[in-house]
Amino acid sequence: MSKILVVEDEQHQRELYAMELQDEGYEVDQAANGREAVEKVKANKYDLVVLDIRMPEMDGIEALGKILSRDKKIPIIIYTAYSNYKSNFMTWTADAYITKSSNLDELKGKIQEILAGRSK
Amino acid sequence: MENEYLKRTLVFLLSGGQGERLYPLTRDRSKPAVPFGGIYRIIDFSLSNCLNSDLKRIIVLTQYKSLSLDRHIKTAWNLFPREMGSFIDVVPPQQRIDNNWYRGTADAIFQNIYIIEMERPDYVLILSGDHVYKMDYRSMIRYHIEKDADMTIAAIETPVTEAARFGVLDVDSANRVTGFQEKPDKPMPIPGREDSAFVSMGIYVFKTEKLVQYLSEDHRLEGNNDFGKDIIPRIYGTERVVAYDYVKHEGERAYWRDIGTLVSFFESNMDLVAVSPKLNMYDRTWPIRSNVEQYPPAKLIFDADDRRGMAVDSIISHGSIISGSKVYRSVISPGVKVNSYAEISDSIIMNGVKIGRHTRVRRAIVDKYVEIPANESIGFDLERDAARFTVTSDGIVVIPKRYIF
Repeated sequence: MSKILVVEDEQHQRELYAMELQDEGYEVDQAANGREAVEKVKANKYDLVVLDIRMPEMDGIEALGKILSRDKKIPIIIYTAYSNYKSNFMTWTADAYITKSSNLDELKGKIQEILAGRSK
Repeated sequence: MENEYLKRTLVFLLSGGQGERLYPLTRDRSKPAVPFGGIYRIIDFSLSNCLNSDLKRIIVLTQYKSLSLDRHIKTAWNLFPREMGSFIDVVPPQQRIDNNWYRGTADAIFQNIYIIEMERPDYVLILSGDHVYKMDYRSMIRYHIEKDADMTIAAIETPVTEAARFGVLDVDSANRVTGFQEKPDKPMPIPGREDSAFVSMGIYVFKTEKLVQYLSEDHRLEGNNDFGKDIIPRIYGTERVVAYDYVKHEGERAYWRDIGTLVSFFESNMDLVAVSPKLNMYDRTWPIRSNVEQYPPAKLIFDADDRRGMAVDSIISHGSIISGSKVYRSVISPGVKVNSYAEISDSIIMNGVKIGRHTRVRRAIVDKYVEIPANESIGFDLERDAARFTVTSDGIVVIPKRYIF
């Protein structure tokens, strides 16, 4: 079973994503900000990270850099309400950049696509 | 405006080269800071080319032993008014993205990608701070735009025997890159011209978006994070990668040397003292500037038959005194004193060196502020010299900075 880390500061959203992804058959772990995410990546092995950008303590951009310097290969999907972070070039190192919408179809589709590509 | 593209170009000058093969000249300084041709440092050529090409947004990326380079740029190149949008910024590693030093050339740019974010150029020109050359970058950038290239690589023909130190290109009739080997054991020759190869000069122009894309992808891959080793081989098959034929466009002004080794450093300096130098420093349409310390003009004194101050086939910098001694085929930097009955030939003598009476120096590079005592001889007994100094395979003796005899 693929293991996903969901990084999102807004608790309700985070729990919603976790539930929906569990329903898809993934094992899901949660982190409430970038710093927690980096610690969890150090301590655990994930198949994919879903990463919000705007978060307290450590934002997603800094976390992205730190996660990649630990593990270049780990797939990362940026999942944010804002499209303008694309102008921060660090976000270009992520595997995908998805702007949040009311349903999770695009996110789920992308997760599936990336994990399928990796298991080849 | 006709030259608007120049204002929309950001220059990165890669100046972190350790220059191990130039040791001991690089013992206390990085490669771009190594003195050259009497009054210059190697980096002055790239910076002068920028100035002559109207490129005034320049980031100098340093890394190892950057103090003397940093000082040189602050004193010699403090020219551009930032309030007019022009600058030469010396940027040491910021470790914003990770805690490592730069791995390869691509990583050096990637680690500073926030500068591209802030400056928002349309084009990025990447230069190396350790080449001695003249080049009109405007022509290369125009070519890049005309060809609608994603990446343009400046290239030069070189004897196939020397090509193994470089990235070797294969191009089609439209100069589209169709093959690339980085530092190959057996360089591919130019079709039909078996003794020549077309090699990369390590000078690149990118569309900014494409550069960011390549760097971001490269950051996720194992490898050396290097343009030559990783990015060019990965992209030339699918992206518009074009070669810019430097000599064809530069014409008579063309001169390019990668100062990779003590031998190429020596030869490139010696190019200057030739009667018609291959590297013409007198061309007022393409001046090379540097930090010129205030000294009186050079002086040659005494005119007795056995004690004549003279210099031929040589460059004598200001502040130097050739006193009753002879200088042949040599580069004499500022503030050098050569005392009576001494003889110097085929040598590079750097700033502030003093040479004692009756001392003979042949085929040597004497770094700054060395005082060679009277009655010494350098370059005549190579076995003795090798016990004291670095001696290259072809017998050039190198005396390090401030060596005490």
